[in-house]
Amino acid sequence: MTAIRKYSLAAFSLLMVLFSASETAAQCRTFTKKRCLPQLEEYVQNDNYNTAVLIPGDEAELELTFFGDRAYRLLICGHPVLGDLTFQVLDSRGNGIYDSSDKESNHFDFRVANTQQMTVRVQVPETDAVIQHEGCVSIMVGSKG
Amino acid sequence: MPLMLLLFGCGEAAPDQGDAGSGTATEQTMESEGMMPARRQKAFKKIFFAVPSPIETAMLLERSGIRFDAEALNEVEKATGYATTESQAVNLGIYAGDLSYSVIFNQNQQSVDYLNTCRRLCDGLGVGDIISADLIARADNNRDVRDSLVSIVTETFYELNGRFSENGMEEVSGLMAAGGWIEGVYLGTRRLDTATEDLKLRIAEQKMTLENLLGLVDSYAPTEALTNMKEALREIETAFAGVRITENDAASTAEEDGTVVISGGPMVEYDQATLTAISESVAKIRNQYAQ
Repeated sequence: MTAIRKYSLAAFSLLMVLFSASETAAQCRTFTKKRCLPQLEEYVQNDNYNTAVLIPGDEAELELTFFGDRAYRLLICGHPVLGDLTFQVLDSRGNGIYDSSDKESNHFDFRVANTQQMTVRVQVPETDAVIQHEGCVSIMVGSKG
Repeated sequence: MPLMLLLFGCGEAAPDQGDAGSGTATEQTMESEGMMPARRQKAFKKIFFAVPSPIETAMLLERSGIRFDAEALNEVEKATGYATTESQAVNLGIYAGDLSYSVIFNQNQQSVDYLNTCRRLCDGLGVGDIISADLIARADNNRDVRDSLVSIVTETFYELNGRFSENGMEEVSGLMAAGGWIEGVYLGTRRLDTATEDLKLRIAEQKMTLENLLGLVDSYAPTEALTNMKEALREIETAFAGVRITENDAASTAEEDGTVVISGGPMVEYDQATLTAISESVAKIRNQYAQ
């Protein structure tokens, strides 16, 4: 193979990888809009875009502040190919407040008595599948009241 | 071969969707959106930082008893003078704050005017299609329905943040978030002499959201504009030093009327001099960017 052909192939491969990365990001935005946003129902969404392309075994964390006396819905929305995502809510000292592991819901509705910083931690389950897939995961926060 | 797999994967339907076999072509396409064969094998941890959206901040201000002050808003005429990416991005955030404030206080014509102004800056940033003429018309037709305008604004800015993320425009995203945060605190501190205790507490609590905002700005690859913004935010952080946040008991949960309530959380203490320092510091930075 000539050097020119090698470089052409490498450049083409790189372009395709960049194209596919951009394509997946665009698909994530569409996925989130169609599949996740409606699940916030009457809660007003926070306009932060906390969406990433994750693979089995990945974790995602969101650091944010919840205000006293507002009602919140925390929604963890992932592509079904990733399986059942689990999530925990931790206070500012790392104490567990909520764990979705023993629940079937992908969201947590709550109020905070006093304004406080919290961490939301999300896990994508491991898989034995020969071909692993990556998929979009979005951490969404809506509020009302 | 990996390249072939990668291309093939783009059109695959998600497995085990229950009704996938009976779905229409459109539904099958939707199932495949947002997934493909993995391009990496090693797991990692993604960390996000969120700040209150301008609409959320405007709602907090309204509930705290603040009165609408049209003179505090950044004039729409200035928008044509913002020529650099840095000034357009920060002022898009500032105008998003003014737009949200106008929407929440039912200033209908002003809301449409600020949406148009945001559109002008989006054009300059290369994302003008997000705030289309149709969207402006939709807002205009719903100008008397606050909930509709709130939905339009939050969906629009979510779309914008998504596009910035998708296009690798992290700098713009970070600057816009910072501009929105600065404008929210600026609007909240214009009339401290008549502020309710609730409003004063809300202002002091922004020390926590400022920490989240600094985390957000820090999470992006540094650029000159982001470094400038970080320095400006550090200056504001100094003004917040007089706000004392003391950790109380660990948070715990209880059910009240069917809703989970998380108790605990920190105690926030402040004095008038600290609020004045915050007000002056935020005004200085805001006016530098908005001039």
